[in-house]
Amino acid sequence: MKRLIAGTAPIAFSAAGRAALLTSVVGAGLLAATAGANAQSIRVWSGYPELAPFYEHVAEGMKAEYPDINVTVEAIALREHERRVALGITSGESAELLELATSIAARYLENDLLATPPADVSAFVSDPANFGAYFVDAASYDGTVYGVPLFRGQSALYYNTDMLAAAGLDGPPTTMEEFDTYSEALTQRDGSGNPTVSGWSLRLSGGGAGITEKFWINMFQHGGEIIVPAGEGKWKANLASDAGVAALSQYLHNLYTTKTVTVEMPADAEAFEREQTAMFIRESWVIGDIASKAPDLGYATTTLPRGSIVNPVQLYVAGEGEQAEAAWKFAMASQEPENLLWLLDNIGWLPNRAGLDYSEILAKTPALDAFVSYPDTYEFFSTPAIGPIDEVMTRTAAALQAAFGNADLAGDDAAIRTYLEGVDSEINSVLSREGLLGE
Amino acid sequence: MLKRRRLIFSLLAIAPVIAIFAYVRMFPIGEILRLSLHKWDILSKNKPFIGLANFQELFGDRLFQEALFNTSIIAFGVLLITVPLAMVLAALIFYRTRSRFAGFYETTIFIPHVVSLVPAAMAWKWIFDARLGPLNALLSNFGIEPQAWLFDPTLSLISVIILCSWQALGYAVLIYLVGFKNLSKSLYEAAKLDGASGFQSFWHLSIPLLKPITLYVGVATLVSAFNVYAQVYVLASDAQGAPGRQVRVLVLDMLENTFRNYRVGYAASEAVVLLVIVLILTFIQFSMLREKGTRS
Repeated sequence: MKRLIAGTAPIAFSAAGRAALLTSVVGAGLLAATAGANAQSIRVWSGYPELAPFYEHVAEGMKAEYPDINVTVEAIALREHERRVALGITSGESAELLELATSIAARYLENDLLATPPADVSAFVSDPANFGAYFVDAASYDGTVYGVPLFRGQSALYYNTDMLAAAGLDGPPTTMEEFDTYSEALTQRDGSGNPTVSGWSLRLSGGGAGITEKFWINMFQHGGEIIVPAGEGKWKANLASDAGVAALSQYLHNLYTTKTVTVEMPADAEAFEREQTAMFIRESWVIGDIASKAPDLGYATTTLPRGSIVNPVQLYVAGEGEQAEAAWKFAMASQEPENLLWLLDNIGWLPNRAGLDYSEILAKTPALDAFVSYPDTYEFFSTPAIGPIDEVMTRTAAALQAAFGNADLAGDDAAIRTYLEGVDSEINSVLSREGLLGE
Repeated sequence: MLKRRRLIFSLLAIAPVIAIFAYVRMFPIGEILRLSLHKWDILSKNKPFIGLANFQELFGDRLFQEALFNTSIIAFGVLLITVPLAMVLAALIFYRTRSRFAGFYETTIFIPHVVSLVPAAMAWKWIFDARLGPLNALLSNFGIEPQAWLFDPTLSLISVIILCSWQALGYAVLIYLVGFKNLSKSLYEAAKLDGASGFQSFWHLSIPLLKPITLYVGVATLVSAFNVYAQVYVLASDAQGAPGRQVRVLVLDMLENTFRNYRVGYAASEAVVLLVIVLILTFIQFSMLREKGTRS
């Protein structure tokens, strides 16, 4: 800087020169301001870190048509994401585009904190050619569309084909009774009889509501759900039913009777990828995870005996004005078939949009078949989109975790039922407090 | 006149500090007290006044009772381990200052206090791992069966106490070392002339003389331990691959009630209970040490 000034001769401006300079400066300023007004920066908040490349892929694809829209993707763990959304929306500092599950979005929609989409976006979502009625309902509140359906969590059974072959099993289990016999056959033990590889990995510990969700999936296979409708928007707890007793009894049977799994054992996707468990139930994202972490793993997937949970996730917009418009454009860009197929192919989450041609991806990744091709009788369920659902799930998780640690309950169905009646009572008190308890 | 000017100057000088303190400390406490009497879901503009209903519900809430119990056990466990151990370690370091390893000892003990909490807790999670952890490997040398440190209800509490004590120890030792360095040498010389052993000097001189330090270390440790959160969160988080029981503590319960259950007023009432407990315990500690100090 010093050298430049030192080498520059003083300039004397004439009146015309000063006017020309002023015009140039003002013109440049206006140009910059106009460019600034056209350029829009939007942020995308996601609760799934693995989805960041997908949103970046969508943003990259938008560049040609919308060069002035700059997209920043901020993807963090789900629980932290839910916290920042709560704080961000209430303080007016949230991202423009929010990825939310139906049950979480319900709170914000009740309080009118999320934007309604432009007419073209609503029409796109409502078109039966694009989405089934289930996904339109999941993206709507009081009959009005608020979100753009994106992907869903749906479960299937993952099983290690090499371990099944070694145990002389020629196919995956098809009934819940077979889950027990398969677990016994697949469990590997050390010289003292302690399991070293679990037959069927169950969610037995950890924080949050994951324990309840996994239990709910298993209970559904036994014919029931944790909360059931009880007339006119009301609900009631149903854990102490035959299905609830059967599900908890099965957990305890595997833990303490056949000892095919222990609370100390590694669990879930990581354990499956390291061949520390032979079977477990999870969503489709695990396929992408296996491809990156354990590409040589011999495994396959299959549908569950009765049906699966479905957790639809939508894109919502917070705020209004030009940034909101840009956010809706991004949400629509995410619906390009190329982007949705990229999502399934590279990340493993299932797109909600109808009419996509998965044939190429299925040929390349047969494990996805269990998520998109299922029997006509296959049933689906979702956790109810009611305000206190998270509290119900968290409280149930704490109670289930305590039950999993209680060996005395194993084999005693009467004691299990009594225990679950206590949990039902706690759930019903939460529902009652919120005016949601039915008869 | 001069006195009055000085007084005005003094008041003006401390006014900014008091204003900042009131804004960042007293105002939030006042807000928490106010919120605890309201029902608020963080999203709604309405915050109906419900009196003491939140507090009534708290005492019938199983999860709150569990959180209160766990937090109290952890806090007193950390206190009981940290204070005596810190005093003994500080004494050993102080009376061995001529050793060329004195600096090494001090640094080694203080490092856990400055190490970032999350990686430290992750390391402890591995240590406590039931299958691969070195703790169970060590115990197996003595014929002890592997323990489920992070799942068993009692052992998981002990694990948190060990982790919190490990972290709190360095700071407590440092404060005790300052205390030891300020003790009068003449008293120890007199005791030595009277034939007192090293242990007797420590027991009859050091411990009574260090009461103000013990008070400070005790209060700071207890208050800090009552606010335990990150340690239990990390020990049980991401439990898909590494099992861990969620030890429910008060701060965790408050966070869940605020950001997952959207019950800010209810969480505020929990915060008020925590505040009252900490204030009572601090008052008791001050009273006990003041009384004993007066007698001595």
